[in-house]
Amino acid sequence: MNTSEERTDQKRCCTFLIEDTCFAIESDNVTEVLQRGVINKVPLAAPAISGLLNLRGRIVPAIDLRIFLEYPPATHSIKQISLIVDISNEWYCFLVDKLLDVKAFDPHQVVPPTNNSSSALAGVLPDTDHLIHFLSPEKILKNLLDIRTESLSVG
Amino acid sequence: MADNEEFIAEFLIEASENLDQLDQDLIALEKQPDNPDRLGSIFRTVHTIKGTCGFFGFTKLSTVSHHGEHLLGLLRDGKLRFNKHLASLLLELVDAIRVFLSSIESTGTEGDVAFPELCQQLDAACVLTDTAISDQVKEPTSSPTTDVDQGTHDIEDTSLNAAPTLKTEVASLADVTLPETDSLDRAPLTKTESINENIRSANSLDATIRVDVQLLDTIVDLVGELVLARNQLRTTVTDEPSLLDAVNRIHTVTGELQEVAMKTRMASIEQLFNKFPRIVRDVATACGKEVSLHVDGADTELDRTLIEKIRDPLTHLIRNAIDHGIEPVHTRRAADKPSSGQIFLRAFQESGQVTIEVSDDGAGISVDAVRKKAVESGLVTNDAAHDMSDERIFQFIFEPGFSTAHAVTNISGRGVGMDVVRTNIESIGGTIDISSQRGIGTVVHVRIPLTLAIIPALIVSSGNERLAIPQSYIQELVALREHGKSHVIEGLEGSPVLRLRDRLIPVVYLDRWLGLRAWKERPTTGTVVVVKVDNHEFGLVVDAVTTAEDHTSHATETTGLWFIVVKAISSLLAPMGIYSGATVMGDGSVVLILDLRGITMSADIPAHTRRGGDLQSTSEELSEFVKESARYLVCETHYGRRVAVPLNQVQRLENFLQSEIDPAGDSCFVKRDGELTQLIDPDRILHTSERLEKEPTDSSIVGVILPHELGNKAIAVRRIIDVETGHGSLEKTATKSGLLGTLLVGDSATEVLDIIAASQWSEESSLS
Repeated sequence: MNTSEERTDQKRCCTFLIEDTCFAIESDNVTEVLQRGVINKVPLAAPAISGLLNLRGRIVPAIDLRIFLEYPPATHSIKQISLIVDISNEWYCFLVDKLLDVKAFDPHQVVPPTNNSSSALAGVLPDTDHLIHFLSPEKILKNLLDIRTESLSVG
Repeated sequence: MADNEEFIAEFLIEASENLDQLDQDLIALEKQPDNPDRLGSIFRTVHTIKGTCGFFGFTKLSTVSHHGEHLLGLLRDGKLRFNKHLASLLLELVDAIRVFLSSIESTGTEGDVAFPELCQQLDAACVLTDTAISDQVKEPTSSPTTDVDQGTHDIEDTSLNAAPTLKTEVASLADVTLPETDSLDRAPLTKTESINENIRSANSLDATIRVDVQLLDTIVDLVGELVLARNQLRTTVTDEPSLLDAVNRIHTVTGELQEVAMKTRMASIEQLFNKFPRIVRDVATACGKEVSLHVDGADTELDRTLIEKIRDPLTHLIRNAIDHGIEPVHTRRAADKPSSGQIFLRAFQESGQVTIEVSDDGAGISVDAVRKKAVESGLVTNDAAHDMSDERIFQFIFEPGFSTAHAVTNISGRGVGMDVVRTNIESIGGTIDISSQRGIGTVVHVRIPLTLAIIPALIVSSGNERLAIPQSYIQELVALREHGKSHVIEGLEGSPVLRLRDRLIPVVYLDRWLGLRAWKERPTTGTVVVVKVDNHEFGLVVDAVTTAEDHTSHATETTGLWFIVVKAISSLLAPMGIYSGATVMGDGSVVLILDLRGITMSADIPAHTRRGGDLQSTSEELSEFVKESARYLVCETHYGRRVAVPLNQVQRLENFLQSEIDPAGDSCFVKRDGELTQLIDPDRILHTSERLEKEPTDSSIVGVILPHELGNKAIAVRRIIDVETGHGSLEKTATKSGLLGTLLVGDSATEVLDIIAASQWSEESSLS
C-alpha cells in the first residue's frame, strides 16, 4: 500500500532532448532504451512514422518525434535514441535526439496545456533551469491516425 | 474407440469447465430467477453435454442429462418458474454429471450408477405446475422458432424447421402428464454432499492445459529470434571445431524448437467436425429427409484460428447438401437409391494444404442448367460457355447472385449463399470447387492452408524496398523485357494494361503507387505479378522477384516462394489498408506483406477484366458499352476530323512512317513484328477522303492498334489529341456504318468509331 501511495504522489518520467528543447514522457510504460537500429520504411505511411523495427521478433513501429514535432529531419551527426513504449500491450518506438534522465516529479505541478498548444502536449513542468514538455504517447498515436485519415480522404 | 480418446479427453475438460459455470449460473439464477439469458446458457450447456455423450454412446449420462434438459426447456420457455427446489434438483444433476465424468476419466466407462431417482424427480418437477402446462398446451405456437437446435435456425424456410419441433414439444408435454407427485418430497440433498467430496479429491483433468494463444505467439516470436541469433552465430564461428559442434547442435535444436512452437498453434479439425452430426440430424429432420453423415480424417490438424473460420462455410455446405442435394425419400426409392442419403465429410493434408471434401449421393447438379443460367445471367457468352469445361461451368455457382428463383428450381438451388462461402474460404487463402454428376451426387472440395501464421509468399523488390505478396493471390508471373517478343505494358498513361493471352489486365506500378520512386518514362523491364482478388484481376509491376538466399532462416526457398512468418503490424499502420502484416527476414529486417484486397480497393481496380472474346459482340451491345465507358482516345484524322475510340478498345499506339505503308489491293498494310497489320482509314469511313496513300503531307502516322480478336488491324490517324471523358448520351448517326454515333467528348462533339463495324467495313471494301 505504501508504495502505491508514493506513486500517486510522485511519478517518474524519462526526459530527453529534441534540438535544445527538453521533453518528457512518463516512464511507467517505457520498457527499454536502445540505440537507433535498422528501421525498415513503410511506404505511404505518415511522415513521422519512420518505419518498422524488429525488436526480438516483435515488429515495432518507429515514430520520429523530430518529424512529429515539426523539427527538421535528423542529420547524421545526431545519433537518435529509441524509447520503447508499451501502450496497451502494443509496443512503439519513439526516436529522440538524446536521452537525459529519469526523474521523479509531482504530477500536480504539471501545468496543463493551453488550447492552442500542440495536441500531443500533456503539460509543462518548470524545472530548475528550463521547462519540461510532457508528451502524451497516446495523443501522439491518435494524432498520427488522424493525419493518415485526412491524407487518405484528400487523395 | 482409441480414435475417440483424444476427443473424450477434450470433452471432459470442456464439460468440467462448463459444469463449474453451471454451478455459478444456477446459484445466480436462484437470486434472480427471471434471467432468460442465464437460463438459455444453462440449457445449452446441459444440451451440449447430452448431445456429446450421446455421440460417444454414454447412454446413462445422456439419459440423466436429457431429463434435466427437458426440465430446463420448460423453464426457459417460461412454462415453469424457477424456484429453490428446482435449483437444488438441477445442482444435483450437475453433481451427477460430475460423477459420470470422473468415472469416464478414470475407467473409460460411465460406471454403475444411474441416478434413477434423480430422473424421476426431474420428470416430476416438470409436471409440478400442472395447470401452467395445460394452459401452455393450448397455445403451443407462442414461440415455435426459439427452438434450441442451433444450426437449423438459419435455414431459409423457417416453417420447415418449426413444424417437427412443435410436434415433439406437444408430444413430450403429453408424456409428462402422468404425475408421480409422491416422489417430489424426497429430496436427497445429503447424498450430493458426499459425492462432492469424492469428486474434488479425484479430479485430475489437467493432463492438458489451456494456454493463451498470445503466449504461444510470443514463444513463436522468441524462437524466431533465436533462429536469427543462431544464423549470426553460424556465420561468425568457423574455425574452432568444438565451438562449431555446439553451434551445430544449437542449430538442430532451434529448428526442432521452431517446429514444436508452430505445432502449439495447431488443433485437430475434430472439434469442428463433431458439431456436424447434430447439424445433419437437425437439418435432415427439418427437411423430412433421412441422412447419415460419415466423417473421415477428423484428426487432421490445422491452425486453430482457421478452424473457427471454416465453421460457417462448412456448415453452409452441409446444410445445402441435405437441403438441396439429398432427394426426398420417395424420389430416392424411385431412383433405386438407399432411402437414407449419405453425406461424407473428409479431411486430409495434401501438399501443405488441408483439403476438406463435402460430398453427397444426392440429385447432383446439371451442368447444362448451370451453363444455361450463366449465359442467361450474362456472365458468359453462349459460345464461350460451350467451350468451357464442366469444372469451369460449376464455378459460376459461386458468382454473387447466381441463384435466382429460376436457378433454384433448375439446379436444386445450389447457388444459395455460395458466393459468401467462396468469399469466406478465399479470405483465408483457400480455394473451393464443385464437381457433380446429375443423379449421382455432388462433391465440394475446399482447400485451405494449414496455417495463417506461416504463409507461402513471393518477396519482390520495388524501388529499393522489399515487399511480400501472399502466394494465394498470385496467378502468374510475367517478365517484361525491353526487346524481343516478350510482354509489354500497353495502353495509355493513366491506364496501363498488360495483354496476357486473350485478356487485358490493368497493371499497377508498385514503385510509383507506393511513392517509392517517381518516373516519367514507364520502365520497360521488370516483372508483372498477376494477382486475382475475388473478381479483380490485375498486375503489380515490380523490379524483380527475390529468391531465397539463406536457407537458414525460417523463410526457406522452394521454387522462389518463401515461407514467411506473418506478424501483425501495429494498429497504427493496419488502417492504411495496404499492408496485412509484416515478416522478419533472415537478416533481421522487416518486410511488409501487401494487403491485396486493400490495394484492389485503393487502386480502384475494376472488377471483371473484359475478356477479348467479349469484344466479338454486336454493335448494339457495344454502343451500350460505349455509354458506360467514360474515357475516349480522341484523334485527328488526316483530313482534320475529330474522332474518338473507346479507350478500353485501344491496345496501344504505334508510330509508322509513311514509307512503311504497303498498299496491297484496296487496303494498306504495315509490318509489325513480322506480321502485316491492316490499316483502317477513318476518313474513308467518314467519307471525307480517298485513300490513305494519297495523303502525302505527313511523314508519319499514328496507328491505334485494335484488339487482336478483330484481326491484325489498326486505325490510322494523323495525331492523338488527348484522352478525354465522354458526357451525355450517344447520338446515333444511323446512316454511316462504322460509326456508333456522336458524343460530347471533352468539350466538343466527336464522332465515336464503331471499332467492330469499322474493321469489317474495311474488309468488305477490300474484297470488292
